[in-house]
Amino acid sequence: MNKMYIYDGTFLNLLSLITFLIKNNIKPTNIVNSNYEPTLLDEIININIVNNPKIINNIKNIWGLEIYKIMLYVYFSEDSYKELIIYYLYLNCLKYKRNTLNMRNLKCVSKSLKIAKYVSNEAHKLKGFVRFKELESKVLYAEISPTNNCLLILSEHFKKRLSHEYWLIKDVKRNMISIYDKKNYYIIPASNLKLNIELNKNELEFADLWCTFYNTIGIKERYNAKLRLNFMPKKYWRYILEMSDENEKSNK
Amino acid sequence: MKLKEKLTILADAAKYDASCSSSGSTRKNENGIGNASYSGICHSFASDGRCISLLKILLTNCCIFDCKYCLNRKSNNIKRAIFTPEEICTITMNFYRRNYIEGLFLSSGIIKSPDYTMELIIKTISLLRNKYHFNGYIHAKAIPGSSDYLVKKLGKLVDRMSANIELPTESSLKLLAPDKKETNVTTIMKTIKENRNTKFTPAGSSTQMIIGATNESDLDIMSKSSYMYSNYNLKRVFYSAYIPLNNDKLLPTLKTPPLTREHRLYEADWLLRYYNFKVEDILSIDNPNFNLLIDPKSDYALRHLNEFPKEINTASYYDLLKVPGIGITSAKRIIKSRKYFKITFKDLKNMGIVLKRASYFITCNGKYFINKSLFNKEFIENNLVLETHQINKPSITQLSLFNE
Repeated sequence: MNKMYIYDGTFLNLLSLITFLIKNNIKPTNIVNSNYEPTLLDEIININIVNNPKIINNIKNIWGLEIYKIMLYVYFSEDSYKELIIYYLYLNCLKYKRNTLNMRNLKCVSKSLKIAKYVSNEAHKLKGFVRFKELESKVLYAEISPTNNCLLILSEHFKKRLSHEYWLIKDVKRNMISIYDKKNYYIIPASNLKLNIELNKNELEFADLWCTFYNTIGIKERYNAKLRLNFMPKKYWRYILEMSDENEKSNK
Repeated sequence: MKLKEKLTILADAAKYDASCSSSGSTRKNENGIGNASYSGICHSFASDGRCISLLKILLTNCCIFDCKYCLNRKSNNIKRAIFTPEEICTITMNFYRRNYIEGLFLSSGIIKSPDYTMELIIKTISLLRNKYHFNGYIHAKAIPGSSDYLVKKLGKLVDRMSANIELPTESSLKLLAPDKKETNVTTIMKTIKENRNTKFTPAGSSTQMIIGATNESDLDIMSKSSYMYSNYNLKRVFYSAYIPLNNDKLLPTLKTPPLTREHRLYEADWLLRYYNFKVEDILSIDNPNFNLLIDPKSDYALRHLNEFPKEINTASYYDLLKVPGIGITSAKRIIKSRKYFKITFKDLKNMGIVLKRASYFITCNGKYFINKSLFNKEFIENNLVLETHQINKPSITQLSLFNE
C-alpha cells in the first residue's frame, strides 16, 4: 500500500508533520493535503499533528534564510510531489546543514532549486503584470491567475510599494484574496468577502491612455510577436489590461 | 490639444531610445508612493518584444537641432506638442498606482535653449518627487550643452541620468548631427561619475549609439564602448539598430534594421562587462566585424581551440566563463559545488549550463563528452551554427531582469 500522510494544507502544518515523521523514522510514499482523493492503492494516514510554531525560526536560524525561502517557494508550487520534495530536503538539511543547497547532485536539492526558481520567476513577472483598477470606493483591485501561488510574495511587494493605498489582489484560480488596509495584508478565501467591483468614473480614461501608450511604443520595423510571447506568455494576457482585447480576439 | 493626442505624439517620438531598464536603485518608499526594485521590473512587452518598464516620453518634440537621423529635427514638418509638468505628473501617478509602470523615463527635444529645456525637466521631476511624493524609478536625459549646476540639480532627483553619444566617432557626429558636440555629452558623463552616490543618480548612467547609420566597424563601436565603460563608469551602453525615418542623401537606405548585428553587439557588451573579455580578444583590425552566424563567445572559443577543453572540476572561474554555454551564475555554481563533490556531465544539467554549446569545450573528470577525435574546429563550428539556427533564437536586446 502507498502510505499517504495527510496535512491540513498549511506550510507550518507540513513542516510539523515532516519533523514528526523524521523523528519516528517513517518514510512516507507521499504527503498530501486534506483535499486529496485517494486511489485503491492508497492507505491514508492522518495523525492530526499539532503545529509547532518554533520550527520556522529554527530553520531560519540554524540552516539559514535561503533554505527556508526555498522550502516556502516549493510549497507555493503546484508540483504534485512538492511535500515529498520538502521532506527529503529537510532530511538532507539535518545532514549537510548550511551546505545543503550546494549539494546539487542530490535530486531533492536540484529539484527544490528548480521549482523554487520557477515560483520566484513567476512571482517576479507578476510584480510587473498585475493591473489594478480603481473602484468607486477608491480601492485598487486586481485579479490574477498564476500557475503557482504568488499571493504572499506579491502582497509583500505591494505592501511596501503602495503602502498608502487600500488594495485587493484576487487569485481567481485559487479563489483567495489579499486585502491590504494601509497597515497589514490578510490573505483569506475570496468567498468570505462581498465585493462591489463598480469602477471609478476616471478608470476608463486612464485605462484608455495606457492602451494608447502601449500601442504607440512598439516599433513597427522591429515587430517580433514571438519575442513578446517569450517574455509575456499568453496565459497571462487575460488579466493584462493592454493585452485583454487581443486575447479575446485570438480566442474566438 | 487633448492629453491622449499629446501622449501619442510624445511617446511615439521617444520610442527610439532603447533604454528602459529600471534596475540598480534601492530607493525606499518614504511616506509617499512607490519604491525602486533593485533588479528592475518589466511591466509589459511591446509588439516588438522590447520590455516596457518606464513611461517613456518626451517633454516636447520641438527641437532647435537638425540631426539628420532624428524624427524630431527642426526641418521635419511634423505635429509638435509639449506636456505641462502637471500633465506628466498626472499620467505618471495614475499609471504607477495601477501598476502599469515602474516609473518615468523623461527625455526632450531642445526647446529655446539647453538650459531652458533642462529647467523644465527639473521642474517636472521636482513636482513629482516633492508635491506627489513619488519614490518610484526616474530616468532622465540630461540635455547636452546645459549648465553644470543644472545637471547637478537634476542628478539629485533621479535614479539614473544619461546622455546619448549617438554615433561612435566625432566625424560621424559632425556629418549627421552638426549641432551636437561629443564633449557636451562627455561633460555630463563626467559630472555624473564624479558625484554619483546613493543620493545622486544611484543607478548610474548609460548612453546609446545608433548602429548602421554610418560606416564604422564593430571594432570601432566596441572600442568606443570599452573606452566609455572605463572612463565614465557607465552602467550600460545601448545599441540601437538604425531605422530610416528621414530621407537624406547622407543617410544609408536599409530595407530592414541591422538587428542581428545589434544582437551581436549586445552579446559582446556583456562579455566586456561581466566576462573579463577585452575588445582585442573578440575583434581585431583583420577581423573588425562580428560573425553574424555565431555568437562572439563561441567565435572566440573556435579561434582559440588550443585553450580548450576546460576541465570543469579544476578550471578557474575566469576560465569557466570563457566556455560557451556557461554564464556567470552557472560558473559560480560550479565553483561552489565542486568543493563538495566531483561534478559529472549528469550534474551539469542541474546547474543551468547550456550543454548544447558547452559540451564541445569541456571535460568532466578528464572525460570528453564524445569521441575525442571530433574535437576539431570544423565539426564544432558546423554543429554550433546549426544549433543557433534551429533554435532560431529571438534577439534579446534588453533584459532588465539582470542586475547591471
